[in-house]
Parts: sequence; structure tokens; C-alpha cells
Amino acid sequence: MANREKKKKMVLNVLPYISVISLFVGWQLVVTLDIIPNVLLASPIQVAKMFIYKLSHAQPDGFVLWVHTVVSLKEALLGYFLALVIGIPLGMLMGWFKPVEGLVGPIFEMLRPMPAIAWIPLTIFWFGIGLTGKVFIIFLSGLVACVINSYTGVKMTNPTLIRMARTYGATNWEIFFKICVPSSLPMVFGGLQVALAACWTTLVAAEMIAADSGLGFMITMGRRLIKTDLIMLGMVMVGLTGVVISVIIDKIETRLIAGVRR
Amino acid sequence: MSWKNKVSILLKKKIVLNLISVISFLIIWDSGVRYGIFGHYMPSPMEVIKELKKIVIEPISGKTLFEHIFYSLRRVMIGFGISLVIGIPAGVLMAGNLYARAIIKPVFELFKPMPPIAWISLAILWFGIGETSKVFIIVIGALVPLIINTYNGIRLVDEELYDVIRTLGGNRRDEIIKVMFPASFPAIFAGMQISLSMAFSTVLAAELVGAREGIGFIIVMGMKLSNSALIIGGMIVIGLVAWLISYGISYTERWVCPWKRDLSS
Repeated sequence: MANREKKKKMVLNVLPYISVISLFVGWQLVVTLDIIPNVLLASPIQVAKMFIYKLSHAQPDGFVLWVHTVVSLKEALLGYFLALVIGIPLGMLMGWFKPVEGLVGPIFEMLRPMPAIAWIPLTIFWFGIGLTGKVFIIFLSGLVACVINSYTGVKMTNPTLIRMARTYGATNWEIFFKICVPSSLPMVFGGLQVALAACWTTLVAAEMIAADSGLGFMITMGRRLIKTDLIMLGMVMVGLTGVVISVIIDKIETRLIAGVRR
Repeated sequence: MSWKNKVSILLKKKIVLNLISVISFLIIWDSGVRYGIFGHYMPSPMEVIKELKKIVIEPISGKTLFEHIFYSLRRVMIGFGISLVIGIPAGVLMAGNLYARAIIKPVFELFKPMPPIAWISLAILWFGIGETSKVFIIVIGALVPLIINTYNGIRLVDEELYDVIRTLGGNRRDEIIKVMFPASFPAIFAGMQISLSMAFSTVLAAELVGAREGIGFIIVMGMKLSNSALIIGGMIVIGLVAWLISYGISYTERWVCPWKRDLSS
């Protein structure tokens, strides 16, 4: 019986590796055996070769891989931090001060349902395809998540704490800074990851529609030149970079709210 | 009561503040355009309304506004339907069977961080710019939240609930129908909500990259024709449709799973 349990555990431990390896082997085989033509699908080995090639060669899309990644990262992070700096205080103020909520609320409600992607043509029209336009779109896409989360965070403050502070004679601002803001932090940090994912997705979309560098641009160039290995390298890089940023944000988050009880 | 008091009471009312907000937004927009603060590329609110009236009546590249909306919504619905058929069983399988979880989860984790929009180029190469490639991207975009929420929803069902129904003499079938399904359904429904809005923004992106009809196509036309009133009009239509979709979902939720309120309160 114990032996059988052990065997089951071993199988369950090995199975994930088998699954991933067979995915890659199957993918490679499908291309090598020409079941799907190479024009439509690049094999993993080709993608890896393209990766090494792009590390030092600017052909065929104009920039080295490193440059594309840095351009995308710069745009994404600038817009993201702008969204944090404006969105979080705005959401908190909306959550606590009724006049702010009444004044900003309706405009925010108009912005909220619109996918950030819908802003892309207008921003290109306004700012051109450079850095400003991209940062503006990213800012908009991150803003919604930041505002909503900090707003709900403040709204969800335990009313007993607020009443207690009132009893002790705290002013409105004191309650806001000493009780509402700290107690909303876990919720705010929950919004950080959501906002990041939204920013990263929107950035790729914006770069695919109009840009002259960046990972999304690289993917689009791959399509225009019908080079699947370039497209897939771009997709892998987008995924990888996204994971790396979100891991970093997660690390910062756990460090910052180490003292906050969840 | 003095005049000042009346004003201050009025200013505390939410609806008054909302009105002030919207009206001053429109006035700032209009006067900003009139005095050229926003540059020459900004239409005034009246121009946008005129443009909206025009596109309701006159067709844009052969299709009226409602036909464009219909095309976009049809894509969203087909893609969403397909991902429901794939995603929910996959999530259930992952939650219910250890072996299935060990096989599916690593592959899923590999694909998860890639934004669905990154697939557009590949999809266009594979299927052209027709319907198939759009539906394909929507399926990819809608699938991820569905699988995650179904999987977590079932996994996080309170163990005690199973104990209760077992003590009451329920068999495996009762466990699934009377406990697992109702307890995980709100989470699954939330997944459906996320995945539908994901599907909507994905279809917009796909239509921006390459399409001949759809709501995204309208704003691209505006960009190509340098008609900013058309762009903003199209954005308003998009916002309205998106709002209608999310309103529709929350209405359906109240109707389909009325027990959710009991859970949250």
C-alpha cells in the first residue's frame, strides 16, 4: 500500500516535466516532419537560433533584441508608474471625501468601461507614434485598476476603527491618513499586479498598431516579412519580460506590506 | 435658512456634484477646442455628436454602425462560446483529477503570461485577416481567466461543506450537484465576466490590426481619414457597448445564481 502511494507520488512529480518536454518535442516534430509548413510555424530550435542571432544582429527589423526590449520596458514602466502616482491617491481621495467622489466619479465611470486599446488611434492621432503617445495609453490602461482598487480599499475600512478614531476626536484628515490609507494598502497592492498586466497587454497592442521599435513592433515586422521565427521570438520575449516584471513587483510588494496583516 | 446655507447643502448632494462634474467637463472640452488649447486635432463635443448622428444613418465602407457592432459582437460571442466549451471542462478536470492537473497545468502556465494580443500576427499568418483569425485570438484571450477561475473556484470550495453532505448521507453525485457546483459557480461566473470583457478588448485589438468591419475598424477608419470626430464617436460607441455587456452580465448573474449574495454577506 505504502509502495503504491509512493509510486503515485513519483508519477505525479514526473508528469509535469513529461508534459512540457513532450509539448516541445511534438512541436519540433510537427515542423521537422513538415506536417505544418515552416512558413506557418517555426520550430523551437529555430526560435532559439533566432534569439541568439538577434542578440547581436539588427537585421531584419532594424534593432538588436536588447534595444526592442528596453524600449518596450521603458514605455511600459513610465506609464505604469505615472498611473500609480496619480491613480492611487485619486482612488483613495474618492473613497473618503464625498465631494471628490461626486466630482470625479462620473468622468471616471465614463472612462472605465472603455478598453484602453480603444484609445490607441486617438493617441496616435494626438501624439504621433513616439514615446509620449505610448506612455499616455499605458497610463490610461493602468489608471482604472489603480483607482478602483484604492477606492474599494478605502471603502472597505473597518467602520469600527473610524468610529473609534472619531470618539477620540480625530479630524477628518487624520482619520484618512492614519486609518483609511494604511488599511487600504493590501487592496491597493492587489491592484498593482492587475494594472501591470493591463499595461503590458496594451503596450504590445499599441506597438503592433504603430511604432518604430519595441517588442510588439518586432512581432509585426515578423508578420510583414513572413518570418515566423521572428514572430514567435517576439511572443516568447513578451511573455518572459511580463513574467520577470511581475515577479519583481511581487517581491517589492511582499517587502512593503510585510507588517500588514492580511 | 440663509442663502449660503442652502448652497452648501446643495453642494453636498451627490447628484448635484455629478451634474457639475459632467457639465464642467463638457464646457472645458468645448472652450478648450474653441480657443485652440488642445491643438487642431481635437473636435468639439458638438462635432462628435454630429458625427455620431451621421454614422448611425450613413454607412462606413458599406456597413452601417449597427452592422459594425453586430460583426464585433458576433466574433466575441463565437469566441466566448468556444472558450466556454473548452475552458470550463479543462478547469474542472484540473481541479478534479491529480494526473490531469500534472499534465495540463505546466503547459497552461507556459502560455498564460503571453498577452493574447501577441498572438495576432501569428493568427493572421495562419488564418488570414478573416473571421477565423479573430475568433482564434478571442478564444485564447477568453480561455485563460475561465480556466483559472474554474480551477480555483472548485479547489477552494470549503471542505466542511463536503463533510456536511457526507454526514447527511449524500453520495458522490450529491457532492458534485449539491455542493461543488453551487459553491464554485460564483467564482466560475466571475471568470466568465472577466473573460467576456477580455474577449471584447481582444476583438478591438484584432480589428485595429486588420479588419474590414467591426467597431475597432470604425476608429481605425477615423485615424486613416484624419477624422478625429469619427475616432471619438467610435470610442463612445465602444464604451457604450462595453458598458451594456457588463451590465447584462451582472443582471444575468443575479438571475442565474441568486445564492451568491448569501455567500458574500
